[in-house]
Amino acid sequence: MMHQTLTTPHTFGIQTALPLLRLLNPKQHTRIVLASLIVGLIASYTAVALGWLPLWGATAMVLVILLPAGVLKWRDDYHRYGATIMGLSILVTAQGLHTVEHLVQWAQYNLLFLTMRQSNGLLSPANAEWVHFTWNWLVLIVVVALMAGGMRGVWMWLLLIVAGFHTIEHSYTFIRYQMILSELTAMDVLNVTAQGLPGIVGRDGWLARSELTRGTWICTIPGLTTAVRLDVHFWWNALEMTLLLIAGHVYLRTRAAAGKFM
Amino acid sequence: MPLARFVVPLLLAGCLCSAQGTHAPAVNISPPAPTVAATVSATPLAASTACSDAFVTHRLNFTTGMRLREIGTYISNGAGVAVNDLDNDGDLDLVFASVDGEGEILWNEGDLAFTPEPLDDRFARGVASVDVDADGWHDIVFTHRGLDGVTYWRNTGGDAPRPTFERQPLPGIDPYAYAMAWGDVDGDGDLDLVTGSYGAELKQHGIDPPEDDPKAGVVLHLQQDGAWQSQVLDRHAETLSLAILDVTSDGQPEIWAANDFALDDKVWQKAGDGWQAIHPFVQTSYSTMTTEWGDLANDGRRALFTTDMNPYDISPRTMAVWVPVLNQLVPHNRADEVQIMANVLLIGDGRGGWQNQATARGIDASGWSWDARLGDLDQDGYLDLYVVNGMIAADLFGHLHNSELVEENQAYRNRGDGSFDRAPQWRLGSTASGRGMIMADMDNDGDLDIVVNNLRGFAQLHENQLCRGASLQVDLAWSASQNPNGVGAQLALYTDKGVLRRDVRASGGYLSGDPVRVHFGFPADARLDRLEIQWPDGAVSVVATPQKDSLLTVTR
Repeated sequence: MMHQTLTTPHTFGIQTALPLLRLLNPKQHTRIVLASLIVGLIASYTAVALGWLPLWGATAMVLVILLPAGVLKWRDDYHRYGATIMGLSILVTAQGLHTVEHLVQWAQYNLLFLTMRQSNGLLSPANAEWVHFTWNWLVLIVVVALMAGGMRGVWMWLLLIVAGFHTIEHSYTFIRYQMILSELTAMDVLNVTAQGLPGIVGRDGWLARSELTRGTWICTIPGLTTAVRLDVHFWWNALEMTLLLIAGHVYLRTRAAAGKFM
Repeated sequence: MPLARFVVPLLLAGCLCSAQGTHAPAVNISPPAPTVAATVSATPLAASTACSDAFVTHRLNFTTGMRLREIGTYISNGAGVAVNDLDNDGDLDLVFASVDGEGEILWNEGDLAFTPEPLDDRFARGVASVDVDADGWHDIVFTHRGLDGVTYWRNTGGDAPRPTFERQPLPGIDPYAYAMAWGDVDGDGDLDLVTGSYGAELKQHGIDPPEDDPKAGVVLHLQQDGAWQSQVLDRHAETLSLAILDVTSDGQPEIWAANDFALDDKVWQKAGDGWQAIHPFVQTSYSTMTTEWGDLANDGRRALFTTDMNPYDISPRTMAVWVPVLNQLVPHNRADEVQIMANVLLIGDGRGGWQNQATARGIDASGWSWDARLGDLDQDGYLDLYVVNGMIAADLFGHLHNSELVEENQAYRNRGDGSFDRAPQWRLGSTASGRGMIMADMDNDGDLDIVVNNLRGFAQLHENQLCRGASLQVDLAWSASQNPNGVGAQLALYTDKGVLRRDVRASGGYLSGDPVRVHFGFPADARLDRLEIQWPDGAVSVVATPQKDSLLTVTR
C-alpha cells in the first residue's frame, strides 16, 4: 500500500530526541483535542454533580467526546506514517489513559487509604472484570498486529510476553468471575458482585493458595504472591507501559534514521 | 478406669536451666533460679486398644443454640467448653457453656462414657474450670452474653460420689464479661482474672457507646487474700479472647486482648504499680477470634497464633458462598495498618520483634475460624494444629441453607519444622459449626482427644485413634500455694529428639478452659532425659528420666 508522504517542518529539541512525543503531538488537531477535553470535563463534572451519571459513566462520556478528535489525529497518522505507526499511536494513547486509571486506583488505596473495594478508579466501577478482560485482549491483539507490521525487537518481544501473561491473568479472573456468578445465580443470589477477586498472582491468588504451593516459599514471594490485586495490576500495567514506550521509542528512532518517520 | 498406681518418691537433683545456656554476651544475667524439691508419683497410662489410624467422632449429650428458631449475630458466636478433673477421680470432666440454655457438666465415667448434670447457669459464653479458692477442687467460672458478667460456682468437694457446686459471688467483680483469662498476673502466688467485654453485643443491648459504660472494657481483677481489686486496662473492647503469657520474654506475664473488628489487639505490660499498653506486633488478625501459642519447631522460639475469617480454599463454589459476606466485611485501610483478614502466626525473631509466617507455614486460611489449639496429636514430638470453623447467622448468611456457612474443621500436621500440611487423613473434618474447643486426654490412653462445643448441634468428642508415638502427661501440685495447679509454670522435657516445651494453663483459646494437665508427645523410641519444671515463682524442679506413657504428679 502506498501512503501519501506529507512534508512536515523539521522539529528539533525534545521532540527530536523523543520521537514518541512527536508522534503523540496532535499537531493541527490540538485545538479540537483541547476543546473536546474541556467540553468533556465540564459535561462530566456537571453530570456527576447533578447525579445524572456515576463516575464511571462520566469518565466514559469524556472518552467518547474525545474520540472524534482522536480519530482525526490517528487518520492523520495513518496517512503520514502508515498503519503500524498509527497502531502504535493508538496503543500508546489508550494504554496511557489506562495507566491513569490504575494510577487513580493506586492513589485511592495507598494515599487516600480508601478500602480495596472503594479504590475503583474512574472507569472500573462499570465492571472491573469486563473492562480489564476486554482491554487486555485488545492490547495483546494490537501488540501482535504491530509486530506483524514490522515493529519487532527485544522490547516488543518482552512486551508481548508481559502483555500475554497479563491477558492470561485477566482471562483467569474473568472465567472465575463468570463461574462465581453462576454459583451465585444457582443460590438465587442475584444482587451481589464478585468483581475484584484475586487472580493467579498476588495475595490470595492461585499461586499463593494452591494446594501445590501451600506452605512453601512460593506463597511469600514479595509482590508476586503477597501484593493485593490493586498493587499487582498497577505495577503490571506500569511495566507494560514502560516496555511499550521503550519499544515505541526504539522503533520510531529506527524509522526516523531510515527517513520514514519525519 | 482402674489403674495400678504406684508412687515413686524422688528427691530431685539440682540441675538448673542456667547451667544449660550457651555463652552469650553478658546481658541481663539473672541469678540462678532456686531449685526446689518435689515428689513424683507416676501412674501408667493404658495404651489404646482401638487403633484406626484416624480420629473417631462421638456425639456428646449437649447442645447449644438448638432452642432458637433463628440465629443471628451475635448468638452466632456460640460458647465454650472447659475440662479438668472436677471430682479428683483421675478422669477429666467437661463443662459446657450454652448461649440459649443452661450449662452442663459431663462427668467422665471412663471409657468415654459421660453422665450429664445440668448446671443452672444460663446464656453463658466462656467457661473455665479453675481452683479459684485453692482448696484442691476445681471450681467453674462462666462469662455471659448480653449484660451479665462473671458467675462463680465453687466446688465444695467432699467424699460424696460427686462434688456439688455452690454459686457464690466473686466480691467486687461485676463488669460485662465475654472473654476471660486466669493466671498469676502480679506474681503474688494466687490466681488473678482478666475479663473483656464485647462492645458489638453490648450495643445490641442498648449500651452505646460501650466505652462510656463503667462496666465495659478489659478489666484486670487482682486477687488478694480472697478479695478482688479491679483495674480497667481499656474501656474500648471487642474482646473475643484473652491470654496471659510472657510476650516480651522479660520473665513477667503480659496481658493480651484479642479484639474483633477494626479495634486493634492490645498487649499490656506491667510498669511499676500499673500497666502500660505496648505494641509488639507488626501484624495481627483483623477479627481476632482466638489466641494460642506454642513452640512449633522445638527450638525454644514461641509462636503466637490467632484466627480470623478467610476461606480455606478459593474454588468458585467456596468463593460464591463467601462473596456476599466479604463484600460487607470491608476491612478499613489506614497508614499504620497492622490488621490483616487472615490467620496470623507470629514467630519471634529473637530481638523482641515478631514476623507473621502464617502464609509461609500453610495456616493462614482455615475458614470462618473460631477456636484453634496446638497439641501433639500424632505424638511425633511436634505440635499440630486444629481449627474449628463455620458460621450461622441469618443476617449474614441469609443466602445459604439454614443461614449456615458449612465448613470442614481443619487439621494441620506439623512437618517437624514448624510448618504444616493439611491432615484430612485424620478425619477431623467435622462440618458442625464449632466454637469453643479443648484438647485433652479424655480416655487416659495417653494421646490427645478433642472436644468441641458446636453451635446448633451436638457437642462432639473426637477420639484419637492414631495410636502413634508415646506420651508423658504431667499434673503439678503445689499445695502450699494459692495456685495449687501451678498455672503459668513452664515445663521442658529434654529428650534425645529435642526439647519439648509446654506451659500450664487454666483458660485459653476461644471462650474455653484448658486442662491443667500437660501433655507431651514424642516418638516411641525417644529417650527421656529429664523434665524441668519452672514453677510460677521461678523456682525449678527437675525430674530425672521420667517414665514414658505415664501420668506424673509432681508435688512441691
